[in-house]
Amino acid sequence: MRAFNAELSKLFSLPGIWLAYLIGAIAPAAISALESMAQKEEILAGVSTRLSEVGYIGLALGVQGVIILGVLAVSSEYLTESSESGGGQQITTSLTVVSSRFHLLLAKACAVTVTSILLSVVAIMTTISATHFVLGEYTPAFEVSKLIGAVCYWTFTALLAFGITVLTRNGIIPLAVLIINTSVVSFSFLLSKVTKLALYLPDRVGIEMFMFTSDRFLTPFTGGLVMFAWVFVLFIVAAIVFHRRDVAA
Amino acid sequence: MLEINNLVKHRGTHEILSGISFKARPGRVTGFLGPNGAGKSSTLRILLGLDRATSGSALINGKPFAELHNPLATVGASLDGSGAHRKRTGRAHLRWIARAAGLPNSRVEEVLEIVGLTDAAGQKVGKYSLGMGKRLGMAAALLGDPQILVLDEPVNGLDPEGIRFIRTFLRERAESGNTVLLSSHLMGELAETVDDVVIIKHGKIVADGTLEQVIGNHSSLEEAFFALTSEKAGDTV
Repeated sequence: MRAFNAELSKLFSLPGIWLAYLIGAIAPAAISALESMAQKEEILAGVSTRLSEVGYIGLALGVQGVIILGVLAVSSEYLTESSESGGGQQITTSLTVVSSRFHLLLAKACAVTVTSILLSVVAIMTTISATHFVLGEYTPAFEVSKLIGAVCYWTFTALLAFGITVLTRNGIIPLAVLIINTSVVSFSFLLSKVTKLALYLPDRVGIEMFMFTSDRFLTPFTGGLVMFAWVFVLFIVAAIVFHRRDVAA
Repeated sequence: MLEINNLVKHRGTHEILSGISFKARPGRVTGFLGPNGAGKSSTLRILLGLDRATSGSALINGKPFAELHNPLATVGASLDGSGAHRKRTGRAHLRWIARAAGLPNSRVEEVLEIVGLTDAAGQKVGKYSLGMGKRLGMAAALLGDPQILVLDEPVNGLDPEGIRFIRTFLRERAESGNTVLLSSHLMGELAETVDDVVIIKHGKIVADGTLEQVIGNHSSLEEAFFALTSEKAGDTV
């Protein structure tokens, strides 16, 4: 519990992570508002085919906030001080304060989980407000089960970013790959044109929890389970690597 | 008490430590000396559970680091630089460490006062000088008021006043029964501070004893050090 408190304290005292909170709270609302504006005429005329996506599209595309959170939670440990300052890394301090590496990693993952849940709840509130602002009484009702799916999607995405960064020890690659994948071009979507197995990739199955995709093949609950399985396996791999690795290596 | 027993460390095909053994005892300041790359930092990192030994053991009060329940209350360590993220303030850095050890924020203010960083505590660590970073690392090491201190190059980058402070402080810690192990390459400073000296060269211990024993017939610790670590020197004292 102490290690968890320390990890929360780290997450809230790092300026870069406030950027993650800001993006997490604003990006989904902005995307949803733009999408609602674009769709407004069709929705008012009752001919929109994408009514079920209204609002959720922002929650699907606006996960960058939790990606930054998951990556920075780990990469900040490995940021090296300048050589004039002695070239140290925070990870040496973290490991001399908590003697069990597994506890440290678990505490960090729990802190990322809790923060992601809070951030996704904030994002849902801003997104629903933005959609209401644009569509007014034509805003479709948001189902609680789908919103819970969105919270799970955000949290699992943060944990995937977290696990990948434990392996790379550097934030740049996971940050670039994951942000491009969720916003510009979806690698799993491209791969799914080659093999149907790509539909089981975590970002793709995670979306099933709250979006109707054209080639949907899993129920929201199964989609969530598959994404959780990815998170779980990645965490185990990350924990093994983190446990065995020399800090100096 | 710190005990290093027959410690071996390989990295790839390179042997960094070739079965070294020594002790750092309570009530004494032990200086760990050696040229760059001799294996000082590797030894301290293994002792603190940061790196793994290939074989042998490094024990803190009879236990490996990973088995300590509240490590901060047993051993305080300061290695490279400040060990803090450069975007966090000095105070925020010490506060998360205090949380991890279940210590109140008032303890943070106490250690800031001890190392003389109170006025700079609200600044980002990235703005600190090397000496201030060292002081912050020292403050972190002292948070849990541990019986053992392990410090890598503690006076490196400090101004004369800072060096004098560390020297007096470490002597006081040892005299009240604590164990202090410090590595350094500053012979003059070390001779004024330590009771015992361990010298390492190419991953092997070449001298281990009290300051007087290690100096032996040489005129100073520096003379003894160069006699022991120059390429022509024999392997053991």
